[in-house]
Amino acid sequence: MRIFIIGAGQVGTTIVQALHEEHDLTVFDLDPSRLEPLAHRYDVSTVEGNGASRKVLAEAGLAGADLLIACTSRDEANIVAAMISKAVSPRTTTVVRTTNPEYLEVWHEGQLDVDFIVSSEVETAHAISRSIGVPAARQTDVFADGQVQLVEFDVEAGSSDAILGVPLRDAKLPEDSKVASVIRGESMVLPRGDEVLRPGDRIVVIGSPAAAMAWSALIAPGKGKVTDVVIFGAGRAGTAIARLLLEQDIGVRLIEASRDRARFVAEELPRARVFHATGIEPDFLERERIGDAQVAIFAMRDDMKNHYAATLARVHGVGFTIAIVHEAQSVQVFERAGIDVSINPRAVTAEEIVRFAHDPRTQQVAMLEDDRYEVLDITTRVGSEYVGQTFRDMPINGALIGAIVRDGQAIFPRGDDVLRAGDRAIIFTESKRVPEVEQAL
Amino acid sequence: MKAPAGRARLVGRPRSLAVDVRGVAHLVGAMTKYLSLATLVPAAVALGASESPTPFLAAGAIAGGLGWLVERLTRGDHVLRAREGFLIVSLVWVVAAAVAALPYLLSGEPQLERPLDAYFEGMAGFTTTGGTVLTDIEALSHSLLIWRQLTQWLGGLGIIVLALAVFPRLRIGGRQLFESELPGPEIESLNVRIRDTARRLWILYVALTAVLIAVLWGYGLSGLDERMSGFEAVAHALTTIPTGGFSTNARSVEDYAAVTQWTFVLFMFLGGVNFALLYAAFIRRRPRQLVRDEEFRLYVGLLALGAIVLGAQLAAAGIHAGEAAVRHAVFQAVSIMTTTGYSSTDFAVWPTLAIMTLIGLMFVGGSAGSTSGSVKVVRHVLLGKILRRELDQTVHPEVVSPVRLNRRPVDERTLRAVSSFILLYIGIFIVGAALIAIDAARVGLDLRVLDAVGVAAAMIGNVGPSFGIAGPLGSLEPFSDVSTGIMIVLMWLGRLEVIPIVVLLTRHYWRST
Repeated sequence: MRIFIIGAGQVGTTIVQALHEEHDLTVFDLDPSRLEPLAHRYDVSTVEGNGASRKVLAEAGLAGADLLIACTSRDEANIVAAMISKAVSPRTTTVVRTTNPEYLEVWHEGQLDVDFIVSSEVETAHAISRSIGVPAARQTDVFADGQVQLVEFDVEAGSSDAILGVPLRDAKLPEDSKVASVIRGESMVLPRGDEVLRPGDRIVVIGSPAAAMAWSALIAPGKGKVTDVVIFGAGRAGTAIARLLLEQDIGVRLIEASRDRARFVAEELPRARVFHATGIEPDFLERERIGDAQVAIFAMRDDMKNHYAATLARVHGVGFTIAIVHEAQSVQVFERAGIDVSINPRAVTAEEIVRFAHDPRTQQVAMLEDDRYEVLDITTRVGSEYVGQTFRDMPINGALIGAIVRDGQAIFPRGDDVLRAGDRAIIFTESKRVPEVEQAL
Repeated sequence: MKAPAGRARLVGRPRSLAVDVRGVAHLVGAMTKYLSLATLVPAAVALGASESPTPFLAAGAIAGGLGWLVERLTRGDHVLRAREGFLIVSLVWVVAAAVAALPYLLSGEPQLERPLDAYFEGMAGFTTTGGTVLTDIEALSHSLLIWRQLTQWLGGLGIIVLALAVFPRLRIGGRQLFESELPGPEIESLNVRIRDTARRLWILYVALTAVLIAVLWGYGLSGLDERMSGFEAVAHALTTIPTGGFSTNARSVEDYAAVTQWTFVLFMFLGGVNFALLYAAFIRRRPRQLVRDEEFRLYVGLLALGAIVLGAQLAAAGIHAGEAAVRHAVFQAVSIMTTTGYSSTDFAVWPTLAIMTLIGLMFVGGSAGSTSGSVKVVRHVLLGKILRRELDQTVHPEVVSPVRLNRRPVDERTLRAVSSFILLYIGIFIVGAALIAIDAARVGLDLRVLDAVGVAAAMIGNVGPSFGIAGPLGSLEPFSDVSTGIMIVLMWLGRLEVIPIVVLLTRHYWRST
């Protein structure tokens, strides 16, 4: 596929990283210093120029492009680029990144001529909401309208005896779920029945939402439903998170340092408790019992502020901390500081955008562990070699079918179930095997 | 060093006033001119009833002539801004009461021959207060009676609102002028032009009045209420919708049939509802807007509560029983809370507890944007929310919680205005009550403290009758001139919701420095 990528910032770079092997990429940016490292590391063509210019796009051969991804940090430039593309080359699919949820709303109402819109804020909010909905999870994704969940857990020393030290085939695992992989250090294992889980393992589970909750209880016994979340920073990201959590009837407290912004958000979200405070005065934290919150989310614009506030909140006793990171290198710092989950909005956005570049049959893609593993959602072809085989007989060559969706119903296959043509298979695999798996099915 | 001569000329002399008084006089003159046309109505009634139309025509000529003269003398290019608005509103109402008083003086009616008494009656008319200095209402001629009723009808929605609706070419600009006269805090910013708003309000007002006239007259013609004549139907419709309370009978509406009294209850109730909501419910056919409105719900709730409490007190005291107890309790609760002031029975003889309940209701008032007086329900709603937030912030000083009304956040300035309005209102009421009590003691008038409180509350709330000698069958005639003057000021302050007038007393209003 010929893909135009406009914007070579963090999002653009992540997308290039994910797509450069299989696709023919052209990257546009006004800043040559951002294009240079990309051109050195990957086999991509670069164009120094304005991606929202009709002339620049046309000269680069827009008519021959299958997909245009506009992912600069400027919403309006992205939208203009996509609209020019629609006018010049109607066959080119357009994907636009936006930081303003309002554009998403306008698009949903069909008033923006763009094929897909991805909002960093909304995607980030969903990512955070998922990791709160399943308390012990590091990362979760949903497939088939939420019927199938993919959850990543860190096995802890405190995890239930039902899963620790017992071979998987003998362990009492929640129904309708499968351990898709065990990541131990740098290696990934597709587990067989004799595999034994150990503290420190990171496991990927595919299963029903109920099973995901059950797993969560096994991994971290004693963590119940979340009802009290504190969000530091009521910017666009913080507000989007708050809105999503409130929709799930989770109590939200927002802490915002700007008086006007605090007032604005309080008007927008009547059910949230909004505080005008910096969030780092000990008096305030004490008085409002911030330490009692089950989850604290740090959504301020500055990574260092988030880092400091998160550490302080942990000192005050907050059990579970989630931070939004803006600089890729901050992730390590945050992990080292003991922050439970760090979410990079740009990575989340890139992940969301990359799914449009995959095989058209691929409905959704999740990327795990810095893009080394992927979860695919593929509809089985009629002529596939696997059709008619039972799952027990299927050779495991670096891929695992965690669930299938048949007639809109999710099925978690047992050994004697048979794969049929037209089934949507949720498959866990290594990134490098994606083309292979797509072909096989 | 010598300053350059040119500079001095440019700087100029300091301006003494920051208010365009001539412009204000110009507009007030124009409005007086138009208002004088209203005297033609009682003049026509006089002709019909074989009474002399002269006092009305003369009053109209004097008022119209003076208005025209002032308007001409102050001609010029005036730009009236928000600041002038306060003075215009305050003056228009002072002048209107004088226009109302002229026919009383010129008619030679002995009960109103003293200018202060006539002026009181005029102010009680335009402010829809419904208190009177008359001791024998039924002695008045038909034309004077209808003039009395008409002043309440003209004042109900506001004189400036009327002028805007009827004389669109009158050069009145500015929302603020309009809003300072329309009761209640300004909360909703209307998207339509104020001229159109004024016209819509008046269409609804006229329509409601016409319906009530038809219904009342129908009762009279069909024999449902033998006492109701065509004249009385018109006269009472003119003072029900504006929640005025003047009656052509000495015993108010006491002698009418039960069905007539229930009809009054309904229309007094409507007069106390926000007209913008009524417009939406009846003319736009969106009655759900009415039910969803927080103020309307509390309005209905408080009316029901007042009626139940009064009914229980009446039943316990054994004053009325059965349907009469229910009717008088509901009637008086609605009449007093909407600040109408009709009486279906002499409530001045009710037990003290019931009287205290009625005084409480006097401080509630109807809805914002209605024809009623007093504090208005919406301010109570907002005050409650302000207090709740204060309590919350005592424990959580950093919490930011916007006060909402009908789910929409209310501006902090409006909230401050509501709090200061209520403080000023209560403060002025207390001072007024004290002055009336002191003055009564000075002239040896037998006035209980509770009655002084009642009179002050009834005057500033534009209710009308209160208790004791000032009760629904009584008269304010025994009070001294000083007290009458205090009452006039209280009615004026209450009708314009205090602030536009009090603002005039501040130094910063008049000067730019």
